[in-house]
Amino acid sequence: MSRKTLEIYSVELDGTKDTKQTDQEDDKKYNDLDLKKSHQKEELKRELDLDDHKLTSEELEQKYGTNIITGLSSARAAEHLARDGPNTLSPPKQTPEIIKFLKQMVGGFSILLWIGAVLCWIAYGIQYVNDKSASLDSVYLGVVLALVVILTGIFAYYQEAKSTNIMASFSKMIPQEALVIRDSEKKVIPAEQLVVGDIVEIKGGDQIPADIRLLSSQGCKVDNSSLTGESEPQPRSAEFTHENPLETKNIGFYSTTCLEGTATGVVINTGDRTVIGRIASLASGVGSEKTPIATEIEHFVHIVAGVAVSVGLLFFIIAVSLKYQVLDSIIFLIGIIVANVPEGLLATVTVTLSLTAKRMAKKNCLVKNLEAVETLGSTSIICSDKTGTLTQNRMAVAHLWFDNQIFMADTSENQLNQAFDQSSGTWASLSKIIALCNRAEFRPGQENIPIMKKVVVGDASETALLKFSEVILGDVMEIRKRNRKVAEIPFNSTNKFQLSIHETEDPEDKHFLVVMKGAPERILERCSTIMINGQEQPLGKSNATAFHTAYMELGGLGERVLGFCHLYLPEDEFPESYPFDVDAMNFPTSNLCFVGLLSMIDPPRSTVPDAVAKCRSAGIKVIMVTGDHPITAKAVAKSVGVISASSETVEDIARRCSIAVEQVNKRDARAAVVTGMELKDMAPEQLDEILANYSEIVFARTSPQQKLIIVEGCQRQDAVVAVTGDGVNDSPALKKADIGIAMGIAGSDAAKNAADMVLLDDNFASIVTGVEEGRLIFDNLKKTIAYTLTKNIAELCPFLIYIIVGLPLPIGTITLLFIDLGTDIIPSIALAYEKAESDIMNRKPRHKKKDRLVNHQLAIYSYLHIGLMQALGAFLVYFTVYAQQGFWPTSLINLRVRWEKDELNDVEDSYGQEWTRYQRKYLEWTGYTAFFVGIMVQQIADLIIRKTRRNSIFQQGLFRNKVIWVGIASQIIIALILSYGLGSVTALSFTMLR
Amino acid sequence: MAALQEKKSCSQRMEEFQHYCWNPDTGQMLGRTPARWVWISLYYVAFYVVMTGLFALCIYVLMQTIDPYTPDYQDQLKSPGVTLRPDVYGDRGLDISYNVSDNSSWVGLVHTLHSFLAGYTPASQRGSINCSSEKYFFQESFGAPNHTKFSCKFTVDMLQNCSGLADPNFGFEEGKPCFIIKMNRIVQFLPSNSTAPRVDCAFLDEPHRDARTLQVEYYPPNGTFSLHYFPYYGKKAQPHYSNPLVAAKLLNVPQNEEVVIVCKILADHVTFDNPHDPYEGKVEFKLRIQK
Repeated sequence: MSRKTLEIYSVELDGTKDTKQTDQEDDKKYNDLDLKKSHQKEELKRELDLDDHKLTSEELEQKYGTNIITGLSSARAAEHLARDGPNTLSPPKQTPEIIKFLKQMVGGFSILLWIGAVLCWIAYGIQYVNDKSASLDSVYLGVVLALVVILTGIFAYYQEAKSTNIMASFSKMIPQEALVIRDSEKKVIPAEQLVVGDIVEIKGGDQIPADIRLLSSQGCKVDNSSLTGESEPQPRSAEFTHENPLETKNIGFYSTTCLEGTATGVVINTGDRTVIGRIASLASGVGSEKTPIATEIEHFVHIVAGVAVSVGLLFFIIAVSLKYQVLDSIIFLIGIIVANVPEGLLATVTVTLSLTAKRMAKKNCLVKNLEAVETLGSTSIICSDKTGTLTQNRMAVAHLWFDNQIFMADTSENQLNQAFDQSSGTWASLSKIIALCNRAEFRPGQENIPIMKKVVVGDASETALLKFSEVILGDVMEIRKRNRKVAEIPFNSTNKFQLSIHETEDPEDKHFLVVMKGAPERILERCSTIMINGQEQPLGKSNATAFHTAYMELGGLGERVLGFCHLYLPEDEFPESYPFDVDAMNFPTSNLCFVGLLSMIDPPRSTVPDAVAKCRSAGIKVIMVTGDHPITAKAVAKSVGVISASSETVEDIARRCSIAVEQVNKRDARAAVVTGMELKDMAPEQLDEILANYSEIVFARTSPQQKLIIVEGCQRQDAVVAVTGDGVNDSPALKKADIGIAMGIAGSDAAKNAADMVLLDDNFASIVTGVEEGRLIFDNLKKTIAYTLTKNIAELCPFLIYIIVGLPLPIGTITLLFIDLGTDIIPSIALAYEKAESDIMNRKPRHKKKDRLVNHQLAIYSYLHIGLMQALGAFLVYFTVYAQQGFWPTSLINLRVRWEKDELNDVEDSYGQEWTRYQRKYLEWTGYTAFFVGIMVQQIADLIIRKTRRNSIFQQGLFRNKVIWVGIASQIIIALILSYGLGSVTALSFTMLR
Repeated sequence: MAALQEKKSCSQRMEEFQHYCWNPDTGQMLGRTPARWVWISLYYVAFYVVMTGLFALCIYVLMQTIDPYTPDYQDQLKSPGVTLRPDVYGDRGLDISYNVSDNSSWVGLVHTLHSFLAGYTPASQRGSINCSSEKYFFQESFGAPNHTKFSCKFTVDMLQNCSGLADPNFGFEEGKPCFIIKMNRIVQFLPSNSTAPRVDCAFLDEPHRDARTLQVEYYPPNGTFSLHYFPYYGKKAQPHYSNPLVAAKLLNVPQNEEVVIVCKILADHVTFDNPHDPYEGKVEFKLRIQK
């Protein structure tokens, strides 16, 4: 499946060259592709032969019946809208509600119960044919069983529908708008109303609302990274530059972002027919793999159903061979099945999962698929993006170098704690340059917003510098006002510097100040002096060496380094009225005074190092996958702990020991940085080896396509893999992963559709919270199941003993249902509220094949230990009730036949008293009630036992989970109502207990 | 997840299973080494022995708390059930039909009565004493031999015409059959305050065609259960106790027609209006006598 996704997807994106190969390969492997899929693929190829980019404006006008100046008429647009539908990605194909509902009706244990119900009715039918006065008991039982199935089905369906709704409401949160020309007027309309032929205008910051063919463009650049993985901004213009529609410059794709400039274009495709729409719908067409918890529950259902059916059949045969009537034996069979099947459990599991999903949503993890809640807990490898997930997705000043010293700046989210030494005269000069030589400005009207949250107009580094100086110096705008700018040369890639000339703030001082920043080596070239401790000194060799050392060191940290210098122009040569001309450069741009270096980085989120450490102690491998340069990637990896402080890569060892990389024993290195280029040439076995041998891995310079390869590699290690992603290109990896995590802020809709979970705050730490919740739910489900399974033995034994020893029936089938669906439901849900045990994040992730939800230890402990004790306890209660009423335990053995004979109205008890049939029946019901209460009371004790798996009950705290006590109270109240409130309803067979 | 869904071939599965049954590398049989199997079996044997012991102890303690003479609770036996002999059951309750002229149709019924009354021969009542007080026979102490209490004799001759002594056919062949009515025993039950409980048989309420009342001869006279048979002190205290009986000889049963007859016990503490229990304080039966 996954290979296919990759292939389809490379058809889309990589043009034709790579694809043919993959195609052939895959066709060999998957020549049994189902028709529909291949049809879709064909359609896709054909439609991708767009020729709109080759057409002229006139041809386009003709083709789409539009006018470039006046746009479509409203009527025409409405017509198109009716024809093509709204411009939205259709959500992934949903199973029809009724099918979902029916699935709930026949899934799991339901089918067993249906069989039970039908058997009941058949049994009654046969009885009725033989004897018109047959008792209606089995009809009641059948009806109750059917009701149970239907009610739990409805309940599970409702729960699922509710959780689906959360997701649906989320995706509708961000309405998009588009500026469109219609009827010669510019209008803002919701993007979903766009139609083919509309003329739209886009500007920097907009998301392109549909696939458009550009007609005109002013410096328009788009970010196609979500589509192609290229992180560089792509220029767009109206010219046709390439045969391949994906390569040509005059097409803008739906959902990509326009970074700067403006453009006008005609809409050529909308909704699902856009390139992205087609990728998205194909990616979502790929069937999701079964979640681990679904497998676990299936496994559990199989075990229990297997036990139920085999015990049932075994005793059916025993009963028949003990000369019981076949009809009676069928009733026994039903009783045994009902006793064995935990009717309420699946509903409980659903509730438990949705409770956790809600709790996770509060912690910014939105879970689309309920079962994914647990998957996250079994995660053993997280492949995380760097930008925005591990880092803050913005530049911040990390280090400064002046006075021959490196200073560290605060890169945390609020940067309030800038603790480096600011007393030096050099810093005064440097800070002035930073503040002045900067074109970024705060957008007005943000006075009350904290500095770090203010919106800035300008690029990332300038923003960082502006905020940095604003934090330290105060109002930068005011400083700039006082130091009026007289001339400016903006940064360009040939100069690699930025320069501005200012008046000084001292009105007496008529000097002009030239400030300059740029690539450090370029800046240094233009300097002849350097400022140390506020004094200008000639730039000697030692200073130059110091500069280079600092530059290398900061660069080695993966930081973007800028150099700063200034020069006070002599007053006589440059009087106040001097006409500065930036084109003629009539002022000195060399022999300046070098002031300092400053380096910036996209700083890690402050919560991430902790989260990564938590992952590590929880046995989860964190792999960083990024498109960044290896050095930057490694630096960030080190700072967040993806590569821990003590580990080295092969290259590090080589450098430390001054030997060649090849000579290093690869086993010595724990960390590895693998680039996309290396990955490209790697055989799967090599990748496996890397994944297996290194505990700390960073993939740098990778394309989103390679993410899929990495995920597959991890899965070959039998790992449960979580993958984060935001681009459309990530969606196959998200699908392929055991749990795909899309970014809520940066993520594209396609990624969110493909993912199982959406991180609302894009923060890696939220994943770790999710992991904790996931593990908790696994533990708690285990507790719930153990709790529920325990009573099965206590419910089953009565039937076995009844058949073999011939006691009057200790508990009726309907009464059993009252335990399973009445008293036990709330307590088992209450276990979902149990707090995490102390070691939850300190143990290895569960092995998906070895650590089952229901393993034989759990089953044996529940069935053969606790369950047996429970059965004995309940029997004790039963014997007590009979003995106190006159039937001593010994007299009960083999009493069954006489007991149940309608004709016998004078059955003698141990005291010689004689009982009519009804009196015996009433006593039997009292026995049921007693047995019921016996199990119920023991289940309370069981509940308290099950509160903990590893901790002692006192460590866990008896009263920390209040819901447990609500559960216990509910148990008691339900039991009281049943035995004292409903005594008169004979079908329920409850009587009052003394 | 793909790994979990790998399809294994049958031979692979068999091999795995074989490996599970006997693992030559570790010497494991069915997942455990023989030594471990012994230990675990010992553990379970010990565990279950202890559990069984505990259970037995509990039952023993329970039996210690139980009074051997009187049950702890009698809330479910407030009113005694009533049974009828001969007892032939049909689809719904007692259903007796026979043909006067066909011996074989009633010989079985008569036989039932004879064998039922076998327990009331003077020989089998030897352990009991003669009573004639017509009052409750309270016994505080265990006056009878073997630490028991006395029981009153009820011998078959008290049923006179329906004793089967004079008429071994109990009136069946002449269409005036005898039915024997027995009241269930309840420990320490006192049926009424002063008067002896009496049997009263009648057609069931459905309006009878000729509105005749059923004529019945009761034995002992008046159809009473003498008070000296009460209270019953239980099997242990009164091992020889036999229930007192009342025989009802129905004199005017319409022939070739199904009639429903109800025999009630009239006493202060016997109720016969429990809707759930048709045999509490009364007994109904269908009767059809063919000619």
